[in-house]
Amino acid sequence: MTVSAMEEVARLAGTIENDSVKRWKDGGGKVLGYACITTPPEVIDAAGLLPYRVRALGNANTEIADAHLARFNCSFCRSCLQLGLDGTYDFLDGLVETNGCDHLRGMFENWQYVSPSPFFHYVKVPHLATEDAVRYFEEELRLFREAIEGYFDVVITDDALRDAMKRQEDIRDRLRTVYRMREGAQPSFTGAEALAIFLVASAVPYDDFIELADRVVEEREGTSVPRPRARLMLCGAATDELELIREMEGVGGLVVADGLCYGARAFWSSADLAAEPIGALAGLYLGEMLCPRMYTDFPRRRDFVLEAVERAAVDGVIVMHNKFCDVHGVDNVQLRLDLEKRDIPVLQLEKEYGSKADVGRVRTRVQAFLERIGDTA
Amino acid sequence: MSDVGTGLFDRVHGLFSVIESLPDSMSDEEVAGLMGVLPPDSRRSLTAMLVPRLREGSLAFMRMLATWLNEAAGAPLEGRKSVLVPFCFPPELLHCFDNSFPLTSEVLSSLAVIALEGQGERYYDMALGLGLPDHICSANAVEVGSMLGCDDFRPQAIVSAAAGSCDINCKTHELVSNYHDIPLFILEKPVDETERGREQYQKNFNTLVRNLEEFLGEELTEDKLRATCEKVNAANLLLMELWDLHKAVPDPVPNLFSLYTYGTRFSMWGTDPAIECMRTLVDVSKRRLEAGEYPAEREVARCLLTYTSYYFDLAGLFNWMEERGYTYLGDGLDFLFPEIIDTTSRESMLEGLAVEARNMPMTRQVGGNSMSMCWLEDALFAARDLKADCAIYSGHHSCKQTWSVSSILRAELMNRANVPMLSLQGDSWLKRTTPMSVIQDEIEEFIKNVVLPKRAGRRKVRRRVPVEDA
Repeated sequence: MTVSAMEEVARLAGTIENDSVKRWKDGGGKVLGYACITTPPEVIDAAGLLPYRVRALGNANTEIADAHLARFNCSFCRSCLQLGLDGTYDFLDGLVETNGCDHLRGMFENWQYVSPSPFFHYVKVPHLATEDAVRYFEEELRLFREAIEGYFDVVITDDALRDAMKRQEDIRDRLRTVYRMREGAQPSFTGAEALAIFLVASAVPYDDFIELADRVVEEREGTSVPRPRARLMLCGAATDELELIREMEGVGGLVVADGLCYGARAFWSSADLAAEPIGALAGLYLGEMLCPRMYTDFPRRRDFVLEAVERAAVDGVIVMHNKFCDVHGVDNVQLRLDLEKRDIPVLQLEKEYGSKADVGRVRTRVQAFLERIGDTA
Repeated sequence: MSDVGTGLFDRVHGLFSVIESLPDSMSDEEVAGLMGVLPPDSRRSLTAMLVPRLREGSLAFMRMLATWLNEAAGAPLEGRKSVLVPFCFPPELLHCFDNSFPLTSEVLSSLAVIALEGQGERYYDMALGLGLPDHICSANAVEVGSMLGCDDFRPQAIVSAAAGSCDINCKTHELVSNYHDIPLFILEKPVDETERGREQYQKNFNTLVRNLEEFLGEELTEDKLRATCEKVNAANLLLMELWDLHKAVPDPVPNLFSLYTYGTRFSMWGTDPAIECMRTLVDVSKRRLEAGEYPAEREVARCLLTYTSYYFDLAGLFNWMEERGYTYLGDGLDFLFPEIIDTTSRESMLEGLAVEARNMPMTRQVGGNSMSMCWLEDALFAARDLKADCAIYSGHHSCKQTWSVSSILRAELMNRANVPMLSLQGDSWLKRTTPMSVIQDEIEEFIKNVVLPKRAGRRKVRRRVPVEDA
């Protein structure tokens, strides 16, 4: 029986150590884990290593992690830590920490304290994108490059970095194509499918992804998913929960755009491929970063959402955060207030990551929101 | 008494204008008379603060705060700009300017919780009413809720210094800035203890100074800096003296002086009232040392709180502890580690102030390159230097950054210094989360069942027998 490209995506997206990673490892390849959109995978890729974005895929069991992180820490980080400590991530040859948020820092510190990774490097990311801060970050990226070179005994030339930047741009380009096909009047993908494609993009080698993404696009070109009751945009905290989006879409909403860090925020902008590579990466990953951890950039984040609302003809926006996530918890309030001022329907939602207990509540809230928006079909 | 509005600042200022008029020394009868006219929540706090052994220090502290509030209230009338700052920012930088005055978010929240009827909870609810989640920090939310929900006093600018050490602190102030269109200046501490990190911090600090100069329309001259830095140094010396006094057994420094010390540090450092308050705290403690005074029959346990305390029931925590012989050696907000500022030049003073800023609590610990190890380093130093028998982590529910590494702190304090740590859960500013009676019970059980047996050498660590050997 022939497996469709989208089914292949679903299979790869639903597993942490997927077949593609296993093949890479079997061939002697090394894998470096990172968690946050402030980390440039280009530097890892340029060293011939596979950059793998840590995810928890809705894992609700945090038994081991709870002995280290507290119940007052975000359940996404606790879920990732659980997988780090229970052996699921043993295929990683190293970890890259960034100070994305307080919870993430705690997750990395506990992971490293309990189960030290052979290679561990901390990329320190400023919270402002001033000229000084970008220069500091450039130096951080140089140190990151040196650390990888030193440990893995490789040389990362500027040319290798440029090639890696081109490869990442290809990946971004494929993702933007998928997102454009989802945003159109006749969306070719559901929100859950788009998230699955995104998850694969940051968990398999470049060649595997490009081949699969092209097949997926070809397969879906000219097709459309069933017409929804309302077109939704989903914004907020780290969300790699395919099941959650399926639940939202199961009651009649269709996520046609997002402002998620496991989503559009991670790939919407491009690096300047003609510029000096480290400077270009610093400009992209700090200067262009769309994350509430950046304390003076709210207007830019809001405008990103407003543009997507316009472009994708969004009927309503769901701003969501995992319980105890401060950066999104507060940013979502600012965003909600600004969207309401423009008469854009908005649902502010707090949830526990991966919790089955929350699914029914979320479904009810989304159903009520869809009723508030009114049927658009 | 000034016109009292419904906002936090106005109400606190109104109350302190009464306190300011109190005489330097008060008899028990005068205290009882005062309590008769106060509403219950204010009465409870003032009763705790005005017990005879604390009275002199408490009055000095309250007078210092009254001056602070008066100056803040009067600042706009004098053409000075009020600048809202977090506790992890050295207010002395703003005291250096003629045209500015610092108002500290957490000090205002604490004063509401301690002194106002209703303990500031209405303002916290106003913040939540706007949609802010219930895991935001009450230390900010109480004060900020008033600014968002009431026609309260508003600052002309906000300096945020928690970037890198506390997300919620920074995000809350960012929201206020956007909501009320108030200019926001950010002093970022890179999470980097290398020379490069220090240089970057100095650059960030100098940029802040330039931005403030421009905003205030005033040059920060060498003379202005020196006038304030000399006062900072005087207060720092008193702070060091008070730290040393804590080393005596039994500790002659009353438990509540910990709060008074950092309450002063976070508001009026670099001014004469701060020096006067600190001098009183030192003098009282010295006299108690000479007289061998201690509130209980004996000092039972020397407790170091590793981060925040609980502020909603001063009698229930600070006084209850010392009356049972549980010394409060200080908490994480006392981890101030002051250095004397070199006042020879403008540059040396700016460097000295940047060091002060980098050494502020929270910034220095969880704003370090490793939250757990930088915090541990200071906690270990304090535990050893002050001869702590145990540590207590108050577990303020919103301190996600300390919560995320408190298990490492607990393990390493035990491994390296044999100091057991109790982890509590509660809200440091709101009584609604964990009642004081529960906190007392947990401290009591910990000291009786862990600390005392361990000190007496009776507590054996039960080792788990490996399955194959069983």
